[in-house]
Amino acid sequence: MEEFFASLYEWFGLNPLYSTDMGDQLRGWDITCTDYIGTPWYVIIGWSMIGITIISYALQYHIINSPQFNKKHHWWIMALVIVLLNFLVAFLIPFNSIQSGDFCNLLYLSVSDSIGFGASNAVWSFILFILLTSFKYPRYLGINCRHTTFWKP
Amino acid sequence: MSRLYIFAIGGTGSRVLKSLTMLLASGVKPNSDNNFEIVPIIIDPHKSNEDLKRTERLLGNYQTISNEAGLDSGFFSTKITTLDRLSTSQNRLSGSFTFNLLDVGGKKFSEYIEFNQLDEPNKALADILFSGKSINKRHEEVNLLDVEMDIGFVGNPNIGSIVLNQVKDSQEFKDFASNFNEDDRVFIISSIFGGTGAAGFPTILKNIRDAMNNLNIDGKGFLQDAKIGAITVLPYFNIEKDNDSPIQKSDFIAKTKAALYYYKDNVTGNNSINSLYYIADNYSGKPYKNDPGDGGQKNDAHFVEMASALAIIDFLETPDRDLETSGGKAQKPIYKEFGIRKDASDIKFSDLEDYTERKIALRLSQLVLFRKYLVEHLSSAIEKEAWSNDSPEINKKFVDDTFYRTNLTEFLSSFSDWINEMAENKRGFSPFNLESSIEALIEGRTIKSSWFTSKVDFPAINNKLSKQGKGKTYSSASQKLIQLFFNTTEEILTSKFGLKN
Repeated sequence: MEEFFASLYEWFGLNPLYSTDMGDQLRGWDITCTDYIGTPWYVIIGWSMIGITIISYALQYHIINSPQFNKKHHWWIMALVIVLLNFLVAFLIPFNSIQSGDFCNLLYLSVSDSIGFGASNAVWSFILFILLTSFKYPRYLGINCRHTTFWKP
Repeated sequence: MSRLYIFAIGGTGSRVLKSLTMLLASGVKPNSDNNFEIVPIIIDPHKSNEDLKRTERLLGNYQTISNEAGLDSGFFSTKITTLDRLSTSQNRLSGSFTFNLLDVGGKKFSEYIEFNQLDEPNKALADILFSGKSINKRHEEVNLLDVEMDIGFVGNPNIGSIVLNQVKDSQEFKDFASNFNEDDRVFIISSIFGGTGAAGFPTILKNIRDAMNNLNIDGKGFLQDAKIGAITVLPYFNIEKDNDSPIQKSDFIAKTKAALYYYKDNVTGNNSINSLYYIADNYSGKPYKNDPGDGGQKNDAHFVEMASALAIIDFLETPDRDLETSGGKAQKPIYKEFGIRKDASDIKFSDLEDYTERKIALRLSQLVLFRKYLVEHLSSAIEKEAWSNDSPEINKKFVDDTFYRTNLTEFLSSFSDWINEMAENKRGFSPFNLESSIEALIEGRTIKSSWFTSKVDFPAINNKLSKQGKGKTYSSASQKLIQLFFNTTEEILTSKFGLKN
């Protein structure tokens, strides 16, 4: 699973989004600089991205499920919320590590790496939200938003 | 499917038929195992009568909507057809609901009976039978024999009975007779205090019961013993005083008495009729314009006309065993009157008796809510709400098509006029607040709401529509619109407004 998420986030190439050192940190390069035995951030943040996106989707399509929140501009509002949340999650976790110095001192990590990873997470959550809402199912299991996508109604 | 042939005679006939059309459109149906197809035949010499024209147009639109939406869509689910559609003969008539009275337009009564060709004794007899004065369409006083009949019989049933006797030899009557089956029924609508209806009712009835003696028609046996119901509408509205008019309120009662006296021997007295409904209202309300017919005769809809239409529904609910006829005589003739719970000048649903309220309150409210949604909200819902995007789509193209733009819109506009006219008339029938919010739509009905229930507004209706439409298949967008709204409005009005089916 770690390789899956790693290849996902590194799909765009480690540069220009974030550095190879940030990639190692997210793979779980431990604080003693010996092996990948630290916290597997790729997996944790990957699952949180999937969770946040699915919960947000469910909120709009199945829980709020309202004729007053089923137009395409509502889809874009929800997409923006998802993108922001996922950006924040992926930005704040490495950013906090950097601020507290809680990483292998051989790695060179900067705030721009955190921003880059946040952006990568945000892009993937956006893609996932598009995929979730572009196919007939599970959208059709809802009532009021069963035709709601990023291009209609 | 059995048929109900409705002879709607005169202005009142057209107006009651209009009310029946509105009730059927809203989904009011008889509680009967039999489904009836309605075949209206309007008999009125006054072709420019606005009430007749409005009713004809309404029936045409109803037919189109019903054909497009199908008979299982709730609204418009009783089939209405023209007599010509039943006929396969060479002499097929044009697709009209109106009986074509011959030699009436622009002709004086004396010309119709060929007065000048009569010998002296017959001329003298005609002079006696048709003495008196009337007015012509130019408001000039004329002898009765010189009345021009294209504005009707102007309150003279003695003329009407002669002219309407041509019905038995007409192509329409032949078509009617040849298509009439054992299970079919006949209903005759007429008023008793005018000219056309008072004369037409016994004439039509007699021609049906005497069918065995008519050499021109088929299906005589079935006709002679047909199950026949009728409503005879007694005076129910006030009319402006106009000394120059042949129509006088003071004559209404005298004419009614005279006609009832005639019916005593020739309708009720000889058991010609299986089920006769009487209706009247002595409430002295807003007077109608005194128009003998030359002004187009366009009267506002009245509650009594709707109640009269309910007589037709009641007649269809009467079981066959109570309508047995033998040798042209009803075995157990039934006579009925209509009443309301409270003598209110503005009738609401709660003023009606339970049966009447149950029969019409829910269905009329459904059509009112349907119209309100279409008029006030459809344009902002199409191509946006899930129910509208489900296949077949209710989209902009659909609302630009003739079905929606002409037939349905025109029908619902007439429906709203009908509701408004009944509300403004006196005695009035005003159970709806058409311009208010949905929650205040029905007088005296408050929304059952609580902390956990949502209010009833257009988004709530959209939600219900999308729920109702989910996973359903419809043969066409027209069928979808009608059926979906029938089911949804029924659900909202029963669950939120507490209306009963």
